Amino acid sequence: MSEHQHIGIPGYLGVFAFLFIATIITYVVALQDLDGMFFPGANTLVALAIAFAKMTFVVLFFMHVRWQSRLIWMAVVSGFFWLAIMFAYTLQDYLTRSVIGY
Amino acid sequence: MTHDDKHDDHYHPPGLQHQFDDMGQQMDSVTIGMWTFLAQEIMFFGGLFTAYLVFRSRFPMAFAAGSNHLDAFWGWLNTLVLIVSSLTMALAVFYAQKGNRNLQVVMIILTMIFGTVFLGVKAIEYTDKYNHGLVPVDGWNKVVPEGEDHGKEAARLSLPFETTVSAAESADGSDKPHPNPRGEFQITDADLDLVTMAQKEGFLTESEKIGYFSNGELDPEKVKGKVQIFFWIYFVMTGLHALHMVVGLGIMLWLLVMAWRNTFSADYYSPVEISGLYWHFVDIVWIFLFPLLYLLGRHFLAGGH
Amino acid sequence: MENVDSINTGEEKGEEKVNYLTNGFSVKSWLLTKDHKRIAIMYLISVSVFFVLGGIYAGLIRLELLTPASDLLESGSYNKVFTQHGVIMVFFYLIPAIPAVLGNFLLPIMIGAKDLAFPRINLLSLYIYWVGGSLTLFALMQGGVDTGWTFYTPYSTTFSNSFVMLVGLGVFINGFSSILTGLNFIVTTHTMRAPGMTWFRLPLFVWAQYATSLVMILGTPVVAITILLLAVERLTQTGIFDPALGGDPILFQHLFWFYSHPAVYIMILPSMGVISELISNFSRKKIFGYEFIAFSSIAIAVFGFLVWGHHMFVSGQSIYAGLVFSFLTMVVAVPSAIKVFNWTATMYKGSISYDTPMLYAIGFLGLFLIGGLTGLFLGSVGLTVHVTDTYFVVAHFHYVMVGGTVLGYLGGIHYWWPKMTGKMYSEFWGRISAMLVFIGFNLTFFPQFILGYQGMPRRYAAYPEEFQVLNIFSTAGASVLGIGMILPVIYLVGSLINGKSAGPNPWLLPGLEWRTSSPPPTFNFEKTPVVTWEAYSFGEDSGLDIEEARRESTVSPTA
Repeated sequence: MSEHQHIGIPGYLGVFAFLFIATIITYVVALQDLDGMFFPGANTLVALAIAFAKMTFVVLFFMHVRWQSRLIWMAVVSGFFWLAIMFAYTLQDYLTRSVIGY
Repeated sequence: MTHDDKHDDHYHPPGLQHQFDDMGQQMDSVTIGMWTFLAQEIMFFGGLFTAYLVFRSRFPMAFAAGSNHLDAFWGWLNTLVLIVSSLTMALAVFYAQKGNRNLQVVMIILTMIFGTVFLGVKAIEYTDKYNHGLVPVDGWNKVVPEGEDHGKEAARLSLPFETTVSAAESADGSDKPHPNPRGEFQITDADLDLVTMAQKEGFLTESEKIGYFSNGELDPEKVKGKVQIFFWIYFVMTGLHALHMVVGLGIMLWLLVMAWRNTFSADYYSPVEISGLYWHFVDIVWIFLFPLLYLLGRHFLAGGH
Repeated sequence: MENVDSINTGEEKGEEKVNYLTNGFSVKSWLLTKDHKRIAIMYLISVSVFFVLGGIYAGLIRLELLTPASDLLESGSYNKVFTQHGVIMVFFYLIPAIPAVLGNFLLPIMIGAKDLAFPRINLLSLYIYWVGGSLTLFALMQGGVDTGWTFYTPYSTTFSNSFVMLVGLGVFINGFSSILTGLNFIVTTHTMRAPGMTWFRLPLFVWAQYATSLVMILGTPVVAITILLLAVERLTQTGIFDPALGGDPILFQHLFWFYSHPAVYIMILPSMGVISELISNFSRKKIFGYEFIAFSSIAIAVFGFLVWGHHMFVSGQSIYAGLVFSFLTMVVAVPSAIKVFNWTATMYKGSISYDTPMLYAIGFLGLFLIGGLTGLFLGSVGLTVHVTDTYFVVAHFHYVMVGGTVLGYLGGIHYWWPKMTGKMYSEFWGRISAMLVFIGFNLTFFPQFILGYQGMPRRYAAYPEEFQVLNIFSTAGASVLGIGMILPVIYLVGSLINGKSAGPNPWLLPGLEWRTSSPPPTFNFEKTPVVTWEAYSFGEDSGLDIEEARRESTVSPTA
């Protein structure tokens, strides 16, 4: 894989611009009471959505996953999949304690 | 070590390890290896994020109170610093592929500078927490004897819409210092007000209804325990992240030496590439730490839900 | 077939060829080696030291339990003894044993590679293992640790006065050895396979190692961070596991078992890989359902991550979570059962030769069956309330760990011993030891099922008198088991001195590792092999001249 796959300087600057703006937005938005304006948890949702978007851009372009083999995609996805397993199965305990029994 | 003669017949490109047949195989191997390592890193930080998730889902108000003690401006600035360093890192890889030694060296140095700035800001923040009695271990905070007027701690940068409340400043905005003769972890009345407000609005969780109250009365000690847990998680998470930054800077130093010697070319740049992967990963961790630790819950002060 | 000539490396008479053992004799040539085979040998020695040490602790436990009173050891010392038995056996023997010794030695040879993808990282992982192990040994010499190998909070964070920090640090460091080994195996399997060695021509041992590596990569970091949190909490005397603050000890159990249940599969999966090799090769029959066994390894690795809550049924986790974990525990039994059925089907109408490795493999089948089925008892959320923390649990996991992992390990060591050393051990003593291990093991642990069902709790130095008879059986069995374990040390080491030369293919098998000399040269093969045959093909298509192999082999077990 010695072909150089990347998006060139303008591309890198574009990704950077996106990250920069997203960082400003996430900061400003966090000071607004979205929970009150929309629904409880809206602030959390927006903050995490922006973080995910930023992560996706870094992973795809700065880390070149966009051009990598399927195996690398699988490594990335399985990392997050296992993280999701840990979150989900731990929380299925904590979030159901008041539902049944405890 | 005696080498098998047969292996010396082959042409060995510079940088090719003996166990590989060609550069392509080596490049594939190190790339897969680095990503496997990063999957491991995801799970390493994942344990911390799980702990955060569990406690935040149980005690959101205490976590909001803890968030509000952090200075979001510094966190925000550090996010920008890391993003810029990610850009310079990506460009360092770009110029390594191009075989452009000078720009490569410049980019690596810039990355190191931004990494150091990040750690410097982190040090300022930690000092701030120490001064304000927010280190979650009793006795590890600055000792402020009774009755001594230490005034406001080092003036901090503040944006107009900044809403930090620290333990040294009372909630009503007066300059009255909080004495802390034994260097204990402290919370403020504002933290308790936040809980009271949530109770009035009726959105305390089941755990919070048990976790903040004794005999139906708001118990400041119990609230303090939960805020303390937030800061404990804050220090472990940011501390481990900072440790990764320090390791990253070490790797950068090594890269700098190699780049200086003009080691990298279009055929051989995998060390820059995989070090870049590591650097970007550490950046990604911070991209999540910033909203989770600094921002969530801040709107309670702004909007007063 | 021309490629066959290229990989037949019959030793030329008169001139000894340089192999990996004779390639340099200095201490430095060992300590700084990048050769995966030398690293495996150093692992073999280190792991054996820890195994003996853990065995001594086991002996102490059984001696103490010979009598109902707490007479040999008082309770505090007994706590330390069973904790150290657990810590050493789990973290320093069971987890590294098969991957780091057999996997390290054989994985590159089996896929036709010169070495692992990252030889220096491989050496680093050995050094990390040594550092972690030394720290733990140092802590034991300082006075040891008494929290149980699980380090449950808040006991380990607040109340225990023993060396939790040091042992924790040792385990933490050791975890990275395991992570790096797993990383190396994954990359090697992906990029280093010889021409023609497709995924479905890989020996099942390699599939098992691959699945194990997945668990190591995705599980081990979690226990690392958990123990780190525990250490910070113990240092600061405050933190997230402390109920006094509103912290949660059950979170520790969640994080701990997120790794430590899959860790069971780190122990058993490689052993299953060894057993797949043994069953097929010693039945001289292509393994039944290759793809099923290969994918069941992966399935176990994945599903193994979904069941950790069955260690916490009585801990106070929600009943809903208990139900889900209980159900998933039944699910994870399916791939294990697939393997057992396929092994049995492979033996059916095979021409079985009862050599030492095969005896171990057959022993494995019986013991793992009992261990697995009693696991289902314990996975049932209702029944487990009765047997939690009794000797039933102890017996169950020893049937899996010892009956599974240790027997697989011993079987593998015997099977590949001629390849690793070039020497043949005494078949007579081999069979004796295999049978002693099997008998001694059952005598030790079967009574414990009954004891547990009758309600004898684990982790106590004293017990009511009515339990004594079964405990005497158990201790007697332990001594038989001990002899069965010591014997191999004697005759295997003895074979190095006066063993017969084994030749490249003593078992007359088609696998790639049998097509290079014994011991193999430093880069494993004279020429990169080209694979044209399926795994476990005993017919003509394997391209192996059995008659020639028989002539070359000085010891022909089937002759």
